Amino acid sequence: MNNMDIDHDLNNLLEIEEDEEDEILLSPATLVKIIEEAWLNEKFSPEILPNKQEYVDLLLGQLAAMDDNLENASDRDIKKGVHQLEVDRLKFLVCSYLRTRLEKIETYIEHILKQENERIEKGEEMYLTDAEFNFANNFKEGVDKHFDNLMGIHPTMPISWKNQIVQPNINSFVFAKSKADIESILIDEGNDDETVYVNKDSQIIISYNSVSNLVKNGDVQLI
Amino acid sequence: MDPEEVEFLGEKEIITIVPNFNYGIINLISGDIGPFRAGLPVKVPMWVAVNLKQQQTCKIQQPDWMDIDFLEELRETEKNTQTFTKMPNEHYMALTKSILNCASDDLIRANEIRTLVKDIWDIRMSKLRSSVDLLIKETASYAAVDNLTMMEINSVRPLLPHALDQIYRMKKLQGPRIGSNSTAGQSSRMSYSFRS
Repeated sequence: MNNMDIDHDLNNLLEIEEDEEDEILLSPATLVKIIEEAWLNEKFSPEILPNKQEYVDLLLGQLAAMDDNLENASDRDIKKGVHQLEVDRLKFLVCSYLRTRLEKIETYIEHILKQENERIEKGEEMYLTDAEFNFANNFKEGVDKHFDNLMGIHPTMPISWKNQIVQPNINSFVFAKSKADIESILIDEGNDDETVYVNKDSQIIISYNSVSNLVKNGDVQLI
Repeated sequence: MDPEEVEFLGEKEIITIVPNFNYGIINLISGDIGPFRAGLPVKVPMWVAVNLKQQQTCKIQQPDWMDIDFLEELRETEKNTQTFTKMPNEHYMALTKSILNCASDDLIRANEIRTLVKDIWDIRMSKLRSSVDLLIKETASYAAVDNLTMMEINSVRPLLPHALDQIYRMKKLQGPRIGSNSTAGQSSRMSYSFRS
């Protein structure tokens, strides 16, 4: 397969996926940017954020197609090295993003499952993907079993520890950059409340609680 | 966050190279680069530049801001103002590092540039440390950190947010103070001294 074919295939692939995306034109560069921002947000927010499964799938599709093409490309081609490097960079990005989410699920398993189940009851959109939700349930089962086995030999052991759920500290401080003018951010002073106006592109350090909704709707980027 | 991860983001910055080969446009997932014409400058992301440079197939063109006069002026401004000056590039530190690492032979007066950038970084870090000190003494609830670059923010991340967490907890325990409105307003406004 020659070089023209690689480019051609890539373009074809994009067109197909754009169609699947309800006619929303999404350039691959935008896609990469979305995942990058999701990665940073996920890295710095104390709680788990709504999943970006559709974008992750799109990017993985691109990467798989590129991988296929690279196998057929000649090693002596300048292009191959550059493409390979980009694929490796993007794979790192996606992996790191997904791993961050898994770490959060493992740490805050009880808390996250409780919230997800509440969301199911209310019929709201779930934050976890199906695969993550499965993983969470299996993980919880394993952990519970393990603790039961350990504690079972001491029948007198109080079971109140089960009510001590590990929760993320949503008041923890984060660095944030505003992507739009924001009329007012409510500052929880611990004892008093106050609102501030934040201009587009300004950077602040602030309690996560104050900006959590803005992070989720994309007005604020954690940095 | 690891400094390497900040560098990873920094490597996306666009710089100009002069290739010594001919090649068409390369359609990367993150955007097209090229066409490459031997001897003609072309813009590429830093990571491509490093890759090509390592294969000895291009020269890296010195970014406009990597200029002795400019950097000296920047250093003086940084020294003489209380606020943080806007840097010529969000990832100036990472870029300087990787260009000096892989292409110092392409730069004019590379060693002086290294020293100047390091000086600017040092001045900014010392300013940052005193601002953090002030911020914590004032027990502020938020602060503007405009013009700080990602690498600089990352360097205070292990400490500052946690210190503020603890302050927040103490405030919460303390409960509302009598006549607290004016005091609270004042303390938050003062937190802007981070910027002023």
